[in-house]
Amino acid sequence: MLRRVWSIHRCYGKGCSPLLSWTTLTTIFLQQLLQHHFMAPVSLYFGIPTKESSGEEQLQLSLPGLCEYVEQPLTVGLKDKAACVRRVAVLGWAKIHSLLPNSEIDAAIVNELYGLLRDPDPVVMVNCLRALEEILQEEGGVAINKPIAHHLLNRLKECDVWGQSEVLAILQRYRPRSEDELFDILSLLDPSLLSHHAPVMAATLRLFLSLCATLPAVCLSALERVRGPLLAAAGSSSRELRYAALCHIQLLLRSDPGLMGEHYKRFFCGYAEPPYIKQSKIQVLVELVNDDNVGMVLDELKGYCTDVSMETSQAAINAIGSIGRSYSERCLDILTGLLELKQEHITSAVVQTLKELVWLSPLCGDAVCTALERWDDQLQDAQGRGALLWLLGVYGDRVSGAPYILEDFIAGVRSEVSAEVKAELLTATLRMYLSHPAETQDMMGRLLHYCIEEELDMCVRDQALLYYRLLHCGIEEVRRVLQGGRRSDLSLGPLIGRPPEPISQWASIFNTLESLTLGSSTVVNSDPSTPTAYTPNINTLMSSGDPDLTACSHGALSLSASPSLSPEEFERLWLQPEKGACLEAGVPCPVPSCSSESLQVALQLVNIQMLAFTPANKHPWKVYIYTHSSNTFISEGSRRPSQHLTSDGSRTPPQTLTSEGPRTPPQTLTSEGSRTPPQTLTSEGPRTPPQTLTSEGPRTPPQTLILAELLQVDREREEEPEERGKKGGVLVRMRQYPGDQTVLTGFLSVLTTVLQTLSAQPDHTHS
Amino acid sequence: MSASAVFVLDLKGKVLICRNYKGDVDMAEIDHFLPLLMTEEEEGLTCPIMTHGKVHFLWIKHTNLYLVATTNKNCNASLVYSFLYKVVEVFTEYFTELEEESIQDNFVVVYELLDELMDFGFPQTTDSKILQEYITQEGAKLEVAKTKVPTTVTNAVSWRSEGIKYKKNEVFIDVIESINLLVNANGSVMSSDIVGTVKLKTMLSGMPELRLGLNDRALFALTGRDKGKTVAMEDVKFHQCVRLSRFESDRTISFIPPDGESELMSYRINTHVKPLIWIESVIEKFTHSRVEIMVKAKGQFKKQSVANNVEVRVPVPSDADTPKFKTSTGHAKYVPEKNLAVWTIKSFPGGKEFLMRASFGLPSVENDEMEGKPPITVNFEIPYFTVSGIQVRYMKIIEKSGYQALPWVRYITQSGDYQLRSNF
Repeated sequence: MLRRVWSIHRCYGKGCSPLLSWTTLTTIFLQQLLQHHFMAPVSLYFGIPTKESSGEEQLQLSLPGLCEYVEQPLTVGLKDKAACVRRVAVLGWAKIHSLLPNSEIDAAIVNELYGLLRDPDPVVMVNCLRALEEILQEEGGVAINKPIAHHLLNRLKECDVWGQSEVLAILQRYRPRSEDELFDILSLLDPSLLSHHAPVMAATLRLFLSLCATLPAVCLSALERVRGPLLAAAGSSSRELRYAALCHIQLLLRSDPGLMGEHYKRFFCGYAEPPYIKQSKIQVLVELVNDDNVGMVLDELKGYCTDVSMETSQAAINAIGSIGRSYSERCLDILTGLLELKQEHITSAVVQTLKELVWLSPLCGDAVCTALERWDDQLQDAQGRGALLWLLGVYGDRVSGAPYILEDFIAGVRSEVSAEVKAELLTATLRMYLSHPAETQDMMGRLLHYCIEEELDMCVRDQALLYYRLLHCGIEEVRRVLQGGRRSDLSLGPLIGRPPEPISQWASIFNTLESLTLGSSTVVNSDPSTPTAYTPNINTLMSSGDPDLTACSHGALSLSASPSLSPEEFERLWLQPEKGACLEAGVPCPVPSCSSESLQVALQLVNIQMLAFTPANKHPWKVYIYTHSSNTFISEGSRRPSQHLTSDGSRTPPQTLTSEGPRTPPQTLTSEGSRTPPQTLTSEGPRTPPQTLTSEGPRTPPQTLILAELLQVDREREEEPEERGKKGGVLVRMRQYPGDQTVLTGFLSVLTTVLQTLSAQPDHTHS
Repeated sequence: MSASAVFVLDLKGKVLICRNYKGDVDMAEIDHFLPLLMTEEEEGLTCPIMTHGKVHFLWIKHTNLYLVATTNKNCNASLVYSFLYKVVEVFTEYFTELEEESIQDNFVVVYELLDELMDFGFPQTTDSKILQEYITQEGAKLEVAKTKVPTTVTNAVSWRSEGIKYKKNEVFIDVIESINLLVNANGSVMSSDIVGTVKLKTMLSGMPELRLGLNDRALFALTGRDKGKTVAMEDVKFHQCVRLSRFESDRTISFIPPDGESELMSYRINTHVKPLIWIESVIEKFTHSRVEIMVKAKGQFKKQSVANNVEVRVPVPSDADTPKFKTSTGHAKYVPEKNLAVWTIKSFPGGKEFLMRASFGLPSVENDEMEGKPPITVNFEIPYFTVSGIQVRYMKIIEKSGYQALPWVRYITQSGDYQLRSNF
């Protein structure tokens, strides 16, 4: 280092301007001073002392005084003749700022940095942007006015790829004054959209999307334009860049599902590709299936089912299952064919997929029955066993050999570890008893005896007791409880298909770190005490500054329906109440008599999204809704997919209640009777202490995801709790991730207002 | 962008070298890297991005090293990966081989490079040609050779220094096309594309201005000429020296070349071509006794051309033993550590067909572990030939001093990711 400084010094010393040699001399003087006084190897470079020594080192030496010495050469460095000195000097100011965050950087310096944006050296220009971004962090970063924006745009071509990405990212903050200006900028940026350097292309697209947030047609055509470069990036030789491109493609497909349709072959996996790439390619392939290519895609996916990596093969099987929702016949052939392989992990994944598939397309039932008829495998993992038991319970009446499979399970119940499997076994056995009473009666007795007398898990024991008492009530009662809704009800809610999402839902995370973590299951926070482990700097996130995000505010509380939540996600979150806060409350107003559609519209007005509802005139009336309070980001974090997405036995939320009540304790309580007086606010005390957000700075309001279930309070139970008073109240159960009671009560008041407004309208039903 | 720090780790997770750029992430956080990676590997869920608390690790693996960038911001991940690959590229240029030993042997240079590549978390000078001008490996050399600041750091033409002199002015142009192919087990071509690169070795004095003419279809369409074979290129990428604005306006490739070796451009061609070497294979597995393999290779290119160093790699079960081979040409051998039978043919003329038979014994006790179905891969090289038919029509060299310079052109077609799935 010293050597280089000396050589620089020598050349500048030879007849360059005296200013320069003075700079270098100061440098060397400073270096000697530092080495003598602190005995620390603080090297210097080009007159900029901060570069070599790490920030911490300097802070440990507590050198605020030193900064005084540093500032002077830095100031001189800004005016230096050589671009390399200016480059370092500019960033030097950013370093001083981060070393001494409390000290104000002189306004003159800031002005000078703004002035250096006009520097002939492009790296100096970009470094100025970077430095100002750091220094002015609190004011929201470097201010971009029209002249600066145009200057940056004009010089974009001179920058290297790093600089271009930086400039494009910062330009997102600029809002063109007029439509003409906007289109001038767009046409100037258009070539970069086709840049073959993937990060530049992605940065340009992000800028496009933020500039054209109000012009969806332009956005969509921009997506078309980047298709080529993006596909090229997805075939890049570096696997990490390939992965990043695939994640971005997945984002794009959310808004434009047909974008990559004809290029599906580009997403076929090579043998040696790592599992994470294979899995994201499989996810993309599922999106791309259409009538023309379904054969090819399924053939290809079939090949992946026998992949050496268990996760990849499971992902492929799940993918076939999801394709099966629209092309059930071919997929069922493949899935049942896979059972022949007798590979345990494949069989287990297939059973889980079948369970999923049968629920969504009940017509597949026959194929499942044939497969069950020939069943002779042993499954080791709990999820697979659970799924098999569920299938046996639901389709037991059509499979003659089913009781014998069940018998093996009951014989081995003592060695069964998983409580879930035991609970599933109880339900399946009881259902089997209804269809095959003669074969099942004896083993059911044994099972109930074991579960009530010896079982240690309270949930299982309670469930067994419940069934035992239920049997006392007579076979008709059992049938009514267990058979109702065991197969999917096709009239149920808007659960099929997924409309293209608006681009604004993902534009803010495009080309960031977050877009890569969304698709993977690896960013699971193992520590439940910090619900928001994933908090990247809000500044980078907010820099997209999407003002058009629909967020409406209700007093202190602002709700937003985006990002949307899939029914599976809803269900998964709903079934793990311990992670968030819970609240139950009764709303003293009758069930709105209006149609579900008008309820949906009414809720959307206050940014609450309806996910599912019971068909008209069905009892009890039920609605599932969700919303996000305030900013969208943390809710993204809390919807990180878990690796056990389909691990739980039950299906879509409404079904959970009607048929599998006993498995989910909180719901059992109310279906049995009402031990929880619905009109008082009861937060679920001991089990789920309400968690408040920690470590959030004052600038960021807590952001949470709220799930809720509206449930009509049944008529038959009216007499028991006296305080309910009114007929047909609505019970609201809420879950919130991460928990915050004040937000929940705010949400409840919004909801109550809506419901009361609706029911105040003239109705002509029971109440 | 903004990486907080960059680490180079060995396979055991020991930090070989690191550079803290911003100081906003605790340097001790790197201790969590390998444990995280291990748990992910156990679950089979490795991912190039990992998170511990608030720190994100973005990592790549190169030979026996991990290169890790840490950040606590929601930064642009693909840019960070590009940077890490750039670091690998620069180190490789310096040490020819980037591995644990070369890092340990060159700590000083590595530190200096890390200093120059990035400052305060932002990439700075990343062009290895420029870096090589002022960070040299031998200190002694510097004293003699460099008495001036490299102009390239400040120059408008950042990739070429002034005052380069050669006795004989020459340019060597290599047009290399590699073929990526994926063929299904039933013999249908799933995907095939050609990735071409034009490489230069420039030995020219002064600041020459070069212009390269190719039989580019878009160019011919633009100028209205339509004779001879043209090639439609996609995803054309250029070295930073090429004036992109000119290429965009009239498809002229004009540039001031960097000195020495460089990659001028790369392109991709998506048109379907007949697979140059076609493989038919029959693999019969008689459980508990033996495996019979029959492979037929056919050269589906012009008779005048010859493919060199053809290597057909056929996967065999991991528990195979006692290999026996019979080939109509070339020789075959068993590579047990890779579970491959490799059949090598030194020269393979176009239009010819060759055959190899192999048989392996299998143990009577069956292997319980499930094995994947690796594809058959082929390596080859065909000189004096490009599949796409791309041609260098001219290379004009203009320099102030007006010297005469000779361009030399060479064409090579080689195998890229050339896979044929087998059905054993």
